[in-house]
Amino acid sequence: MIAYKFLRPGGIAPYTGFRWPVGDWVDAGGVDPCRTGIHACAVRDLPIWMGPELWEIELAGEIAVQARKLVAPRGRLLRRLDGWNEGLIRDFGRACVRRTRERVGFLPVLSGYAFDADRLAGLGRVPLAAFAAARAAELRDGPAAYEEERRLQAIWLAERLGLEGGDLQAKKPPLAV
Amino acid sequence: MRLDRELACQEVVELVTAYLEDALSPEDRERFEEHLVFCDGCQNYLEQMRDTIAATGRVPVGALPAALEEQLLEAFRGWRSS
Amino acid sequence: MEQVPSPQDARLLEGLRAGDEAAFVALMREYGAGMLRVAMMYVSSRAVAEEVVQEAWLGVLKGIGRFEGRSSLKTWLFRIVANTAKTRGMRESRSIPFSSLGDDAGAEPTVDPDRFLGSGERFPGHWALPPQAWAPEGRLLSQEALDVIERAIDRLPPAQRAVISMRDVQGFTSEEVCNALDLTETNQRVLLHRARAKVRDALEEYMR
Repeated sequence: MIAYKFLRPGGIAPYTGFRWPVGDWVDAGGVDPCRTGIHACAVRDLPIWMGPELWEIELAGEIAVQARKLVAPRGRLLRRLDGWNEGLIRDFGRACVRRTRERVGFLPVLSGYAFDADRLAGLGRVPLAAFAAARAAELRDGPAAYEEERRLQAIWLAERLGLEGGDLQAKKPPLAV
Repeated sequence: MRLDRELACQEVVELVTAYLEDALSPEDRERFEEHLVFCDGCQNYLEQMRDTIAATGRVPVGALPAALEEQLLEAFRGWRSS
Repeated sequence: MEQVPSPQDARLLEGLRAGDEAAFVALMREYGAGMLRVAMMYVSSRAVAEEVVQEAWLGVLKGIGRFEGRSSLKTWLFRIVANTAKTRGMRESRSIPFSSLGDDAGAEPTVDPDRFLGSGERFPGHWALPPQAWAPEGRLLSQEALDVIERAIDRLPPAQRAVISMRDVQGFTSEEVCNALDLTETNQRVLLHRARAKVRDALEEYMR
């Protein structure tokens, strides 16, 4: 199964410090989500785990599908997605800001979130801007709106990166960005 | 109003030891790591906790006061010869 | 819990039983200071704690023939000190309830609340004054830094001091500490957490 993985510069796993080889199968020896196993993202999880490098990873064995990630006993990095670069990240941030402005831009109190998202995206703190966008949506329309904003973020990334995002069918037409 | 799953920094700092001891539930661990994705304040705090632990490991074990060591040695010799 | 004694433990044990002074001195130098810290969890003064340590060592020597090696040697040593100290503590007119063993606060935050945004803000509970990355890293390796840490540990309440010393200075495992001090995993973790947070604070001050 094809999935995605964010790594630190140099192909290093963010929480374990493991240095990933490219092309070779890595065996985790078991699956115990969050503890053991190869952890990866489905397309819908991409906005949650954004990191410096984005890689395509092939997972094998019995894959545990969790709310925010996939965990498999074996995996191998296939290729780095060059499309995931500073320019794309910046555009992604702007897209989040724009959706936030449209959603809460003129509402008292909540409009502050649009300001925050804008400022954060401008500072290059895009993961935090994306989080602010999701929170703003939630505060306006409830927890489902948080998930919806995250889904729209994932769709945006899937389209720009040319990824298969079949399970992310938009319920409404995507906002023109 | 917040999502249940969302952690604020003030909560994250209280979970750091449990995280390092591998004692968080899978859900909490996921929330903890998700938060670290975008929060450099908490990333720094976690890193500093790791540094603190490493540095503490270099503190010498320490010794008993010399007088007490002498007394203990005397007691040992007394016990040995009894 | 059944444990196989380490080769080093087995050697020291043999040495003690045989009356080998070198073995006794090795054990005393390795664990003496830690035993004193544990004693201070339960009694009111350092002088009394020193007496407890003496009493405990006598208990160790008397019991050395019976020690079967089912727990690790150091767990056994520390249990004897803890039990001796508890008994002594109870005999003193001021007995120290467990609830005061450094876990005074219970749910008190370990980081100054002023460093976070308040409940009226857009991101309540998020950093207002986030920790800055420590630099240069070499400073952490200095003798000064070690002094800062030692002073911070000395200022801790007795139970936090004992747990962080045993875990982080001496390298006991979590299980060894829980067995030695008769703490639950959770108790132990709370004490360790509070202690480490204070030491980190002290280092943050130093690294400024």
